[in-house]
Amino acid sequence: MRAEALVDAGDHELLQRMRQGDESALEALYARYGGLVYTLALRIVGDPELAREVLQDTFLRCWDAGDAYDPARGRVPWWLMGIARNRAIDLLRSRPHQARLREREPLGREAVERPGHGTPDDAVLRRAVADALRDLSVPQREAVELAYYGGLTQAEIAKALGTPLGTVKSRTREAMERLRRALGPRLGPMEGTSP
Amino acid sequence: MTAEHDRFVEQLAAYVLESLAAEDRAGLEAHVAGCAACVALLAEYRAVVGTLPIGLDPVAPPARAWETIRARARSGRRQSAASRAARWASAARWPAVAALVLVLAGWNVTLQRELARRAPGPAPGPEVEALSRRPGRIVILKGTGQPAASARIFVAVDGGGHLAVSGLDTVPAERVYQLWFVRAAGAPVSGATFRPDGSGRAWVKVAVPTTLDDVDTIVVTEETAPGTTSPTGTPLLTALPWR
Repeated sequence: MRAEALVDAGDHELLQRMRQGDESALEALYARYGGLVYTLALRIVGDPELAREVLQDTFLRCWDAGDAYDPARGRVPWWLMGIARNRAIDLLRSRPHQARLREREPLGREAVERPGHGTPDDAVLRRAVADALRDLSVPQREAVELAYYGGLTQAEIAKALGTPLGTVKSRTREAMERLRRALGPRLGPMEGTSP
Repeated sequence: MTAEHDRFVEQLAAYVLESLAAEDRAGLEAHVAGCAACVALLAEYRAVVGTLPIGLDPVAPPARAWETIRARARSGRRQSAASRAARWASAARWPAVAALVLVLAGWNVTLQRELARRAPGPAPGPEVEALSRRPGRIVILKGTGQPAASARIFVAVDGGGHLAVSGLDTVPAERVYQLWFVRAAGAPVSGATFRPDGSGRAWVKVAVPTTLDDVDTIVVTEETAPGTTSPTGTPLLTALPWR
């Protein structure tokens, strides 16, 4: 089956097809989330070549271990983002990241163009998330971003900012509460019940 | 609800961001397993975290990435690029790199905080906000001629950058501060001219050279307005090694 034929297939169906060796399902999943995974990876590692490695590893892991997805822990894209984030943080922490940045090739045009895919609903949600983040105070936003994009523990954030650990904890909690209130209504019924 | 429950609720946000200390995770997970309220809140937080990347400005993946994935999926010869990278990193350099990443991350957000707090002057606009969120590197400048001063240059990987300065003395109208990229061979390149506000802060967009590979150092000097073609003053701020 061609990937175009799966454009309306649900994420769970794509994973199920992948488990049966359907390469077109992998292609459809990539078409759906490849841009988002790459964007996240690039935000974390700051280097196009490393981001591409993260992108490739993420989808190959899905191909190899699609049955590792647990619906109880959330939606498929959250699972994908989790894989990508962990890969990217591993790279960030396990190699001379700044040296790699120095060695990098200049970004090609293809890498800075906007993705061609994405529905109007995607654009609305993107705007909502960006607005919600912008509405946080700067200290709240930096607490969330250092944790999520920087892969830092609360103690590491406190050390990096020269801020008491308790303050970092409260900022993180306040930020998540504000994001939850701002975005919750747009995210629909929440799935995922296991820790 | 008990005080213990409240303590676990406090930890949930850090937990979903994978920022909770390892020693606290097991206790939290045990509590959540038996607490319906925490299960519900955890699901909501997970939804929030799952959508965070959607707020980033989208960047298209390299055109050939899919072909590589397909080829590896077909051959079954998956070779983890991440694993290769981990091997390159062979142990000796890792602690220093980890510390550097930590510090740079802190500097990065400090830069953003400075941008947001600088006063007087207009609040950072969307352009500044967007620039500060692009991936890139940070170069730190320490006050060599003015010990209380410091600065950070954010260089976006796809070009452009900005400079955030604090602690600089004000200068008279006929003088400016000027940022220089001093090259090993060739004339220094001016990156920006600026004047700090009354609190010693400044933010300015920087014309970053195409490559920093041939740049020996980066300095800020005081020059005659509106700026000179080469530095004449003593370096007041000097870049820490960024390589």
